[in-house]
Amino acid sequence: MARQTSMKKKRAVGNFFSYVLLILISLIWLFPFFGLLMQSFRSYDPAVEYGGMVDYIIPHTFSLDNYRFLFDGGTNYLRWYLNTFIIALFVSIFNTIIVLCVSYALSRMRFKGRTFLMRFWLILGMFPGFLTMICLYFLLKQVGLTQAGAVPGLILVSVASSGMGYYVCKGYFDTIPKALDEAARIDGASRARVFLTMTLPMSKPIIIYTALVAFMGPWCDYVFASYVAFGHDKSYNVAVAMQRWMVVGDYQGYFTRFCAGGVCVAVPITILFMCLQKYYVEGVTGGAVKG
Amino acid sequence: MANESRSQTKKNPVAGFFGALGKDLKEIGLTFKEGDWKTRISFVIFGFGSIFRGLWLRGAGLLAVEAFLIWFECSFGFEYLSKLGTLGTVATTKKGRTTVYGDNSFLILLFGLLALFAVLAFIYVWRLNLKVSRREQLTLKAGKKLPRNRDDWKSLFDGHFDKTIMALPVTGVFVFTVLPIVFMICVAFTNYDANHQPPSNLFTWVGLENFKNLFSFGTAGFGGTFMTVLLWTLIWALFATFIDYVLGIAVAILINMKGIRFKKLWRKILVMTIAVPQFVSLLYVSKLFASDGLINGYLLKWGWIDTAIPFWTNPTLAKITIIVVNIWIGIPYLMLIATGLLMNIPEDLYESARIDGASPWQMFRHITMPYMLFVTGPFLLTQYTGNLNNFNVIFLLTQGAPKTGNLVGGAGRTDLLITWLYKMTINDTNYRMAAVIGIMVFIVTAAISLVVYQMLPSVKDEEGFQ
Amino acid sequence: MKKKILAVLLATAMVGTMAGCGSEGGETPAPAETPAATETPAATEETPAATETPAATDTADTADFGSGEIKVWVAENVVDFTKEQIDNFSAAHPEYSGYTYVVEAVGEGDAAGNMITDVTAGADIFGFAQDQLTRLVTAGALEEVNPDYVPTVEAENAAGAVAAGKVGDTLYAYPMTADNGYFLYYDKSVISDPSTLEGIVADCEAAGKSIYVDLTGWYQVAFFFGTGCTLTYDTDDSGAFTKCNVDYASDKGLVALKEMIELASSTAFQPGSSAGDAVNYAAIIDGTWDAGTVKDVLGDNYACAKLPTFTGSDGNTYQMSGFNGCKLLGIKPQEDANKLQVCDDLALYLTSEEVQLARFEAVQWGPSNLNAQASEAVQANEALAALSEQFAFTVPQGNYPGDYWTRAESLAGDVQDSFKSASDDDLKAALEAYQADLQSYAK
Repeated sequence: MARQTSMKKKRAVGNFFSYVLLILISLIWLFPFFGLLMQSFRSYDPAVEYGGMVDYIIPHTFSLDNYRFLFDGGTNYLRWYLNTFIIALFVSIFNTIIVLCVSYALSRMRFKGRTFLMRFWLILGMFPGFLTMICLYFLLKQVGLTQAGAVPGLILVSVASSGMGYYVCKGYFDTIPKALDEAARIDGASRARVFLTMTLPMSKPIIIYTALVAFMGPWCDYVFASYVAFGHDKSYNVAVAMQRWMVVGDYQGYFTRFCAGGVCVAVPITILFMCLQKYYVEGVTGGAVKG
Repeated sequence: MANESRSQTKKNPVAGFFGALGKDLKEIGLTFKEGDWKTRISFVIFGFGSIFRGLWLRGAGLLAVEAFLIWFECSFGFEYLSKLGTLGTVATTKKGRTTVYGDNSFLILLFGLLALFAVLAFIYVWRLNLKVSRREQLTLKAGKKLPRNRDDWKSLFDGHFDKTIMALPVTGVFVFTVLPIVFMICVAFTNYDANHQPPSNLFTWVGLENFKNLFSFGTAGFGGTFMTVLLWTLIWALFATFIDYVLGIAVAILINMKGIRFKKLWRKILVMTIAVPQFVSLLYVSKLFASDGLINGYLLKWGWIDTAIPFWTNPTLAKITIIVVNIWIGIPYLMLIATGLLMNIPEDLYESARIDGASPWQMFRHITMPYMLFVTGPFLLTQYTGNLNNFNVIFLLTQGAPKTGNLVGGAGRTDLLITWLYKMTINDTNYRMAAVIGIMVFIVTAAISLVVYQMLPSVKDEEGFQ
Repeated sequence: MKKKILAVLLATAMVGTMAGCGSEGGETPAPAETPAATETPAATEETPAATETPAATDTADTADFGSGEIKVWVAENVVDFTKEQIDNFSAAHPEYSGYTYVVEAVGEGDAAGNMITDVTAGADIFGFAQDQLTRLVTAGALEEVNPDYVPTVEAENAAGAVAAGKVGDTLYAYPMTADNGYFLYYDKSVISDPSTLEGIVADCEAAGKSIYVDLTGWYQVAFFFGTGCTLTYDTDDSGAFTKCNVDYASDKGLVALKEMIELASSTAFQPGSSAGDAVNYAAIIDGTWDAGTVKDVLGDNYACAKLPTFTGSDGNTYQMSGFNGCKLLGIKPQEDANKLQVCDDLALYLTSEEVQLARFEAVQWGPSNLNAQASEAVQANEALAALSEQFAFTVPQGNYPGDYWTRAESLAGDVQDSFKSASDDDLKAALEAYQADLQSYAK
């Protein structure tokens, strides 16, 4: 009896320290986001406060000036936001379709050059992506998909190479028993039918994972996106446009507006991510184990 | 890696290749010798045999490909292909005050390569067309029935379903990945830089000059800088991968501990760093650590320090800060993975260890880590190569700073090869050296992958998982 | 039915194959085809306007300038201003009615980079800072100023501004401002005497405020030139650098370098020259473009002055120097003479006295035009007054290779780090290396 209480006590003390540690970690993790949010409420209007860098976190007066600035038409923020959303949406749809197709073919079918293709793509993936930016830019330019056409251009480039990202999805398909396919095939179903009516309905988690990852990518893309937009303001995505507020000298005192814009980008994505987190975990865990 | 495995299966790949080529040529000869008139005409008009044997679907397909490739080569392919050797000779001139652009070396190289690939495709389709025709002829000769057009069509969704669904992805990868990479590899052998910028100026082949420059260790040579940057790249990836890995697992264990409540809440808090786009969070963090940033500001205000801590200006401190910030980015990701995997470790392992009086730390070292390392070996490898090319963290935090006169080519102390490559492309338009660095990144990544991959136990048998 | 389809297919294939063979083997058809073939990809690069214009010129008399689109790249804060001025321009020039204008916000740094990356997709007219000039000329991204307009430009603008637009003897760009220099903004309530650097630093330290000084290439010359060092590059007409005149590896250079190190060692020191990013400062060395931002922060305590003097390690007192430079407006090489004419006129107009004055009114950019400079409003501007006072001690900015700016940034990195603990001999060696690198950029 005495031993049990001492165990309990020990555990309680252990738990206490664990909680302290967890709270500490949480504070560290949340602090930057808290700061970002607070700064976004500091007005850039010199009559109220100041929009550049300051040495305090909590604004002296809370104001929505920055958000007003983003949405009242003075900038193309809505346009940039919409551009990014369109890119993310289409990339997400097409990438998922292509990844599913490639994964199915590589997982279920044995054709000539299959292993060669997988090795070849693996090797291609070892080249740094930035290397080919200039070449991709001129390729897109040849078909008129730069500057004013940057949005479809970015979708095209992103979708075109998406087949190479089949690993996680193929790993998932590999875990679906082949016997199911075989049974259906004996009953006379074609490969296409098996794929569409059997494999896909069983792959909801991996479809959501693939779509989610593809959807989140374009929100961060500023290097190649700024290359393709090439100074055409209306074709920017949020990352390219807002990056300028931080690094280009013409934009003095835009810091709080950057924070507000960042919050507007982060909030919906975070909510979406939180809702689909379960599938994300399944995807990354599967991918990690399969490699 | 493809070569590696091929050389394992066949003793001599070169002899094997020529043997196969000889056999192929012999068969082509045989196809012509034994071919009927339909097969023989197929040598010139693709798919002719198939069409006249009633299989117009596949015949028309072959014919269409031939027509397209010939149209492509004639309309501008050959024009560019012929200039590939010089990359253009006609300089840009002035006519009065207007400019008359000459050859564009960039487009010559790009379309020249495309035309070259088209020629290869032509040969491949030609060979395919001969095979098809011969097969049909032999089938008929043997008195068997040919498949019908409908069967051809149906097979696209059944037996040949792989070809249907792979056609578009493979083409996409070819045009937007393979072609550009081949192009940039070629650029490494040219003098394409700010002083040779098309369309106003021509650039041309210079052989190995850029590689010599990379490995020259004089004052202006890139050698010393390359080695410094490479070393930091390797060290950084090592720290970024393993510190995150161990700490991520530790946090996962902490949250998984019995008696800890609100597990979901803790996880959700950590996961914020994955969900919020990095260009927002990292740019903000970079300002936070600046010498005039909030952290220094508050420490000064509270009197904890007298002078600002040079987080980004002191090279050693900058490197440490980057690694620390990367922990902030990396832990949640690994925490998620580890949470799933930890459940799979058999509980009785821990039980028996506990009975033997093992401390939690011992259990972590002797049970958890070995298990995790075994299961996630390949993942660690991809993490490592991913961190070698982790552009976002470095670029958004320091842009490679602090700079120093000891490094050339605009490189800073915290630059990775990839950010250095980016600077060369964007700031200096020094594409020739950027291409060389790119190739080096590839070699480093490939070499590490190859060596480590061979050592991993869990990747040997791919079919075994099914 | 089947037979007919076959026949059609066959016919196509025959034609295709024959055409293929024709141009592959035969010599006759090839030359005839080639020009057409080469033109197709070239034409797609042009804006639709460019392809239309040749047709127009064929039938045109002198009054018809055809049509097209002219793209203008300027800094964000003058986009609206530039649009207005272009409206005025097109109202005054009905003969150019065929042209439409697009104004896009592309920062001066990005503009030059983009123009070099892909001149055909870049703007027809673009603003840039003087230090980009040679880079743009070598990359073939700048057209010479119309020789007919050169006398006008030279007569109306300050001599230094005109020189800034020249490579060799050729004028490549229209001077737009002559305010590309820096001086001291300070907080009156903190700094009692802005005339010595030591005094300013001491006041800042005492008040717990910062002093922002940029030590990168464009700003560090304030120290080097201040102690009497020189750094200039000679170019030939093509923009290639032929010779570097530099004496940094000297006692004067050492004094300047040690002064920079001493400044960087102060607890009040912060690197940087962008007022929007600066925190809690009482002094900042910056240009006129940030006047508004500084005013917002310092309010009634806002004040400007020429750069201070400093007492070097050798005991002598030196006045801080610096560059004086310009912002320029350039035209990219054009393939169509009519469009070039329109661009010439537009650029001339956008840099004219009237527009420079209006630009000063709108965004306080200091004019390069002599008459505009003499106007009362410009004379009364506090920041510009401090700048022109400082200009007495500065050196007109010539042409510098891109590598200089990169290398100078590296020196700035060392000053804030390893040099702080370096001995005089180490510093001398570092200056020798610096000088050798700078010389190596001229061949």
